Amino acid sequence: MSEKLYEIIAKVMDTSIDKITDNSSPETIPSWDSFNSYILLDELESEFKTEFTIDEITETKNVSDIKKHLKVHGINLND
Amino acid sequence: MPEEEKISYYLKKSKALKDNFEKKIRISILSSFTLNGIEEIFKVKCNEKNISCNACLGDYNQYNQEILDPSSKLYKFKPNITFLILDTRSILEELWYFPYAIDEKQRQNFIEKKFKEIKNLITIFLKHSNSKLIISNFFIPVNSNYGIFETKLKFGLQKMINTLNNNLQDFIRNLDSVYLFDMNGFISKHGENNVFDPKQFLFGDLKISLNFIPYLVNDLMGYVIATLGISKRCIVLDLDNTLWGGIVGEDGFNAIKLGSDPSGKAFVEFQKYLLGLHNRGILLAINSKNNFDDAIKVIEEHPDMILKKEHFASIKINWNNKVSNIKEISDELNFGLENFVFFDDDPLNREFMKSSLPQVLTVDLPADPSKYVRTIQEMNEFNLLKITSEDKQRGVIYSQQKERKTFENSSNNLEDFLKNMDLKVTIKKADTFTIPRISQLILKTNQFNLTTKRYSLEEIQKLSQNDDILMGCVQVEDKFGDNGITAVFIVKKNGTKEWILDTFLLSCRVMGRQIEKSILGYIIKIAKQNNVDKIIANFIPTKKNQPIENFLPDCGFKKEKDFWVISLNDSFMAPDFIKIDEK
Repeated sequence: MSEKLYEIIAKVMDTSIDKITDNSSPETIPSWDSFNSYILLDELESEFKTEFTIDEITETKNVSDIKKHLKVHGINLND
Repeated sequence: MPEEEKISYYLKKSKALKDNFEKKIRISILSSFTLNGIEEIFKVKCNEKNISCNACLGDYNQYNQEILDPSSKLYKFKPNITFLILDTRSILEELWYFPYAIDEKQRQNFIEKKFKEIKNLITIFLKHSNSKLIISNFFIPVNSNYGIFETKLKFGLQKMINTLNNNLQDFIRNLDSVYLFDMNGFISKHGENNVFDPKQFLFGDLKISLNFIPYLVNDLMGYVIATLGISKRCIVLDLDNTLWGGIVGEDGFNAIKLGSDPSGKAFVEFQKYLLGLHNRGILLAINSKNNFDDAIKVIEEHPDMILKKEHFASIKINWNNKVSNIKEISDELNFGLENFVFFDDDPLNREFMKSSLPQVLTVDLPADPSKYVRTIQEMNEFNLLKITSEDKQRGVIYSQQKERKTFENSSNNLEDFLKNMDLKVTIKKADTFTIPRISQLILKTNQFNLTTKRYSLEEIQKLSQNDDILMGCVQVEDKFGDNGITAVFIVKKNGTKEWILDTFLLSCRVMGRQIEKSILGYIIKIAKQNNVDKIIANFIPTKKNQPIENFLPDCGFKKEKDFWVISLNDSFMAPDFIKIDEK
């Protein structure tokens, strides 16, 4: 189930999907700059048909944070 | 609204683009807020239209510095077109939140001051650059602290921005290379609540949300298309289910949907929009598989038919295939296929057209006719930087063209035909009235064009003030009417030694009438008055200018090394059946 999320991140960051793990973050992926993080946010919101709050976005540091917030929105990617 | 792709699509696509197209453009974007991604979107959208694009987004909110500093990145980039995109928040600063913290007089002074600042930026930009400048107007916010009372306030927030917009528009109206982009209109069209995303604004100072930047670029592309002179000139239309509902050959004259009920009204709306385009100079033509008699009866007799026979520059109603029909229309009107747009409700016909003639713009008409109007409204391909009186009369001129053709066919030979045409040419100087049309012809003319040099409007203005240049244009009239200004020449004077034919072109509309010899006769006459020895010309062949290939030798020019030369001691015979006037 994480596949879909990794796919989106890889697409936005223009990198290969096997470079993405739950620990991936702007520190580990050079193309993950602030502008790409707005694009990622927009892609995630439309793909999973949900909206993140501004606090959730501020707290997000890596991929596992994204999963955590998605879970709060009823989207469980760890099954 | 035609669906747009997300910004990520453009970012990805921009990495693999062709950049060897013949048409090239350099685009600068200056903005008061974050517009990252806009360069990539421009590149992709240009590529889709076979344009190589180099785009450069100025640093975040550095537009003042970029414009004021003559050695800035902006001027070094040498753009052909520059977009200055400002937003209301940045310009109003704290007044955006508290407009009534100062009194009415102070608000007026504030707007006056801002207007002067922008005027100053425009003036300085024009001093340092030959680029076209497109500046956005300001979005007028709908919400106010005063709620419904806002509109009762004297010089309130909305009125302030309105005034700034109006002043800006009035100032720009008479500047040839500056245009106003209606950002306020753009945001109302899509809705403030959609275009402005508070999260993206708070995180990245995006004042136009990511998903709307592609829509914005789509509208801005209209300026790019117009600047390059590649606007579309003729709409070729199918009939059944395109101009009316149903199939006239099967359903019959009385059963087609046109007018009266809602679905019939959709076609009336579409026809009215097309008529509006026709009235400003876009040609219309018919390309339909039908029994001629059935279909023409609808056009001639149906009470709700808005478009009449005289609105069409060419009518092809037959059982031939649509590709060969559109080729015939192109030959008849003397326009290359790249000037054509094709509307047909049938996806199969569209696919056939797209694969056979990719240079024709085949529009994907939505299945629902109520959406036809919006589809055509959203097209950015009909934009022109100037709409001249020649443009507005084009429809009429082409209907006279049909009469000329008939007359030509009924004449015994070409000479008789020309002698009986009562041809008259009027040589006009390049001035404020004629320069817009001169520019149009220089950008557009492909066939009868000796050197195909494309000068921008700004360059033409400079040339027209140069004493070493003889530049003029030519109005052509005949017994069927006025063809308008349809020829341009630019001669570079090298003292009395020699004059050089830099540009010599004729619109396809008046080709084959020996007009070119009359114009050359005029240039020779002026050269002789100036004691010039000879005129030198260069023929630069292109894929499209075969029609002018033999012009120089036909007129008595002799090849000397790389150039063609005519000595003014030799006599030159201009055609005697063409009357020539000077203004």
